[in-house]
Amino acid sequence: MYKVTLKSLALASLLTIPLVSCQDDEPEAEVKEGKYVLMTASERTNIPPGWITVFDEIPSGNVSNITTSSLQGQGMGGWRPYNNWLLKMFKTSDASKGIERLKLENGTIVQDNFLAGDNATNGTGNFVIVNETQGFYWDGASPLKIQKFNPTTLSRTGEIDLTAAVNERGAGEAGILYRSVGQKFLAVKNGKLFANVTYAKTNTAQKGFFDDFFPDVYIAVIDIATEKYEKTTKINDTGSISYINENQMYSFDTNGDLYIITQGRSATGGKSKIARIKANDTEVDTSWSIDMDDITTGGKFVTIYATNGKLITTIPNTPLTPGGTGNINTGNIWEFHVIDVATQSFTKIEGVPACTNTGAAYGTVKIDGKLLLRVNVNEANGSNGYYELSSDFKSAKQLFQVTEGGAVTGFYKVEL
Amino acid sequence: MSNQIISAIKLSISSGRFFVFILCFVSLQAFPQLKELKGRVTDTRKDPLAGVLIQVKNAGVSAVTNENGEFSFRLAAHEEVVLRFSLVGFQTRELAASPARPLTISLEEQVKELNETVVYGKTETAAARELSVKAEVLDLKQAHALPVNISELMNRSAGIRIRQTGGLGSATDINLNGFSGKSIRYFKDGIPMDYLGEGFSLSSVPVNMLERVEIYKGVLPVGLGADALGGAVNLIGRKLTKNYADVSYEIGSFNTHRANFNSYFSKKKLFYGLDGFFNHSDNNYRANVKVTDPETRNQKDAKVSLFHNAYTGYFGQAFAGLKDLAWADEIRLELAAFKFNREQQHPALMTEPYGGIVSRQWSVIPGVRYKKQLRALEIDQFLVYNTLNISRTDTAKGTYDWFGVFTPNPTRNGESSRPSLSEIKNNYLTSRTNLKYSLNASNTLELNQVITQADRKGKDPLGPKFMDTQVDVLSLPSRYLKFVTSAGINSLFFDKKLDNLLIIKLFNYKASGVETYQSREISSTEAKTSKGNTWGIAEGLKYQLSPDHLVRFSAEYSNRLPDHNELFGDGVWIVQNFGIRPERSLNFNLGWRTAARNRYTIELNSFYRRTKGLILLVPIQAPYARYENQQNVKGVGLEADGSFQLGSGFTVSANATWQNMRLFGITVQQDVWKNGARLRNTPFLYGNLGINYQSKPVSKQGATLKAFMFYSYLHEYYLEAIPKRLEGTGLFPRAQVNTLLVIPNQHLVNSGILLNLPARRIALGCDIKNLLNKDIYDNYRVQRAGRSIHLKINYSIK
Repeated sequence: MYKVTLKSLALASLLTIPLVSCQDDEPEAEVKEGKYVLMTASERTNIPPGWITVFDEIPSGNVSNITTSSLQGQGMGGWRPYNNWLLKMFKTSDASKGIERLKLENGTIVQDNFLAGDNATNGTGNFVIVNETQGFYWDGASPLKIQKFNPTTLSRTGEIDLTAAVNERGAGEAGILYRSVGQKFLAVKNGKLFANVTYAKTNTAQKGFFDDFFPDVYIAVIDIATEKYEKTTKINDTGSISYINENQMYSFDTNGDLYIITQGRSATGGKSKIARIKANDTEVDTSWSIDMDDITTGGKFVTIYATNGKLITTIPNTPLTPGGTGNINTGNIWEFHVIDVATQSFTKIEGVPACTNTGAAYGTVKIDGKLLLRVNVNEANGSNGYYELSSDFKSAKQLFQVTEGGAVTGFYKVEL
Repeated sequence: MSNQIISAIKLSISSGRFFVFILCFVSLQAFPQLKELKGRVTDTRKDPLAGVLIQVKNAGVSAVTNENGEFSFRLAAHEEVVLRFSLVGFQTRELAASPARPLTISLEEQVKELNETVVYGKTETAAARELSVKAEVLDLKQAHALPVNISELMNRSAGIRIRQTGGLGSATDINLNGFSGKSIRYFKDGIPMDYLGEGFSLSSVPVNMLERVEIYKGVLPVGLGADALGGAVNLIGRKLTKNYADVSYEIGSFNTHRANFNSYFSKKKLFYGLDGFFNHSDNNYRANVKVTDPETRNQKDAKVSLFHNAYTGYFGQAFAGLKDLAWADEIRLELAAFKFNREQQHPALMTEPYGGIVSRQWSVIPGVRYKKQLRALEIDQFLVYNTLNISRTDTAKGTYDWFGVFTPNPTRNGESSRPSLSEIKNNYLTSRTNLKYSLNASNTLELNQVITQADRKGKDPLGPKFMDTQVDVLSLPSRYLKFVTSAGINSLFFDKKLDNLLIIKLFNYKASGVETYQSREISSTEAKTSKGNTWGIAEGLKYQLSPDHLVRFSAEYSNRLPDHNELFGDGVWIVQNFGIRPERSLNFNLGWRTAARNRYTIELNSFYRRTKGLILLVPIQAPYARYENQQNVKGVGLEADGSFQLGSGFTVSANATWQNMRLFGITVQQDVWKNGARLRNTPFLYGNLGINYQSKPVSKQGATLKAFMFYSYLHEYYLEAIPKRLEGTGLFPRAQVNTLLVIPNQHLVNSGILLNLPARRIALGCDIKNLLNKDIYDNYRVQRAGRSIHLKINYSIK
């Protein structure tokens, strides 16, 4: 593994700027007909209420997310779309945990179907879709199993029991109070299902989050065709892979490489990493990782988007602080950066203000071939909208500003 | 200056309120000593009458009889005056008097039709109209025989909405003038009720236990010492004036059983009595829910009977004391105890069923009250120390569905996200000292101080622990100490038609405890302290245009201190926030009232509020939340209330409330659009219409029949903010947005009859609630019961 230091990264970033500039000469993507759907959260809460509005054209300038055709509901922290489906982990009418699908109908958004899960456990509803008829999700009611579902009908179809896989380690360990598989990380790659294995020191309300028993994060590999557990791989010396909501915090690069975020030892970071499983591999690439501790002290990764050998993420400009006056979620401290996978150099994206944590929202989305950054600045006259990233990844400028509806949490295009 | 007055001033000084001393001193020097006129008022059976208003005619001076029917004035030594005695339900009398002649007078009962609740718009007693602060007073004596709840009676009043999270015994929240939650403080006989937990609450106390309920909207009297922001509710126990004992029993739908016993005996200087009640209801009414298919996990609508929603509660109180002693007008010792078990059917929203979660509270409460009048000085001291035990059990190894079917799941640790086997002890010390000094017939000074100390310590083997130490976070103690000191002067001006009340309040608190937030590793020795001081001022004016016609105005700058839970959290989900500031509010009230005896009563009231830093619970990082100063709210409200006696025994009452409470002062760009939006989860338009019939005696034994019907309308309101421009227009606006976060229009009709058989000392009541069997909702759209029938029998033993 490369040993990355702040100085070396900074130097590398300067050296690679010209290369970055020369790499992206992609042809302009074809813009298909569709509707643009915007989500905002009207309160700063974990499962916030908010609004969804359908736009005929991609918004620009100042836009309102509250119109007579908008939908107001719960669980508007973000979504995890798949093709033309708007999916989220919280029901819009009452914030129940599970998987909900929304659909366009007469120019507005309405509830379509809901697959209910256990409301008592965070992580319920964490899902991944293989294709339109096959998907997997985790339900806190059966923490040692991964549930199967049909994404088209949005109905549960069965389960895979992974108790034996989980018990491969720590079976007799008294300090492990809670175990689960797939609670925080589910990904599909080359016919394999990857699911994190949780060994937690607590068994109360926050079980499974920031309470890792082992210093390494374990990921079970399951063959999708046979539904057989194959092995476990691990990310060394980190903690808290992913989190509990729609922002799954992993991304596939254009070449199929999978990049995974771990938040580290606690909510304030420490040992936070970006790890990789290469496209044709099922093992974590131990020769490659990026450690937040090497970039800055007291930070962590919270969002990632991979494309063409670049990782778009945010880096805090201030050490994270917890508690009543903490800055993790509402402080304007998160700055967008681009990391070059090959050199591990990182470059701040110019023109984008330091903003709040993306939380459940995707930090970066690709719409009509444009890479858009979610930016919310929690202050008077602060930015609140999406910024379009330049083709050279060096700068971004605001595409639209949302004036009504709350903090931006989701933007997607449903093709017609 | 008497020793007692010196003592009072020493007390003022010792309690750190030097300005009160100055106020007293200046006032004492300014007014001469006067002679006292004493008297006693009884009914025709010679039983003392409490709450009789005695006005010095053409002078604007007034007094109110105490529970022994006694009153006194300070008058010039040889002044001859005409006194006017009035009490609702009795004929008004006038009588000449002077300090040289103590007098006794009896009042005759008035034969007229009454609602089962009579809303007078008065304070401390039925004579409250003579004070300058605005209050609604529910006289519950008229409702003792009916199977009704205090909360539903309050909901029939203007400007008041009580919301419950379920059926009998469920938690309640009152909304007054747009304020709710902790902005409203609760009292029992003038004492803050924190020490009683939920053992004596609006949803559990039978109407028979109380004489009346006073609801203050805005300025509180000096005697109610609290840092309330939006008002207060004062539950007044039955006035002990004559020997009596009565019992009641109610049976109703959903296996509801309520029993009540009250007694009072007096012999010479000794008095004693026993009160108690028992409540039980399965609360198994039918509700609309989403039932989840166990295989597909898809949901469908269903109407099911709630199966784990029962409430059982007991309350008992024994008291004894001595009265008319040389050193005490009354010394009363009391020992109360309560216990309740409450099943929890679902979380805050009806998203899924629970079948095993139970919460309990219990306490044994010894208290003492001392009253003494020393010439012009009245002393009233109350002291109580008790341990409020609170426990919660959530240990099920499995889950229930909405049909009550249990599915075992060995990996499960409780049904909710908060497994618990908690036992928390809250040790409360509550002291309330009230001193009144009548300077003369026109000026009264009052000093009130409430000291509350709450120490919390507990355990929960299934609850959170300090990281890596396994120390139970509840096992470490926390302490909260609060002083609320009020001083006021009540004065009369301009030919004594103008009544002025000026109050100054000081608030102090100090809290200490251990941080419980777990997003980092925490040492169990990280003790924190927090303290604060603030003040408030209130001014009330009333101008008596005629004996039955008045206008009233009040203004107040008030503060509400963050309480123990808001500072230190609950040790489980709510984490501490030491940066929290007191809520502040500037309030104005303006009212007009007129009445024509036995014909009509009309009252119009309005208010303006400007509140900054409302404290709200805000989730910060799953699953934790903390209290924060979140919002600024301002707005106006209008209330109209009328009662009309139509003759032939019919009375019609109606009221309507409109409130326009809106957010302001938001500067963060993402939320600027909320400026001008209505305060969320707050009803803003509602009204009531009632018709009563009371027969004349239908038998030689004096039996009477009474029938009533009440209709309540609650206009739709929203759980979250919507922009003002999309609220809709007209008298009944409908939001012009597609929202799933709406509580729809609600129509509720209740109807009942009451048969009173005085010769047999029996009263029989029947009440049909939600006669139309409509779907009605409450807090956060939790469904309430459909149609239900309740029967009640009252028997007066003595």
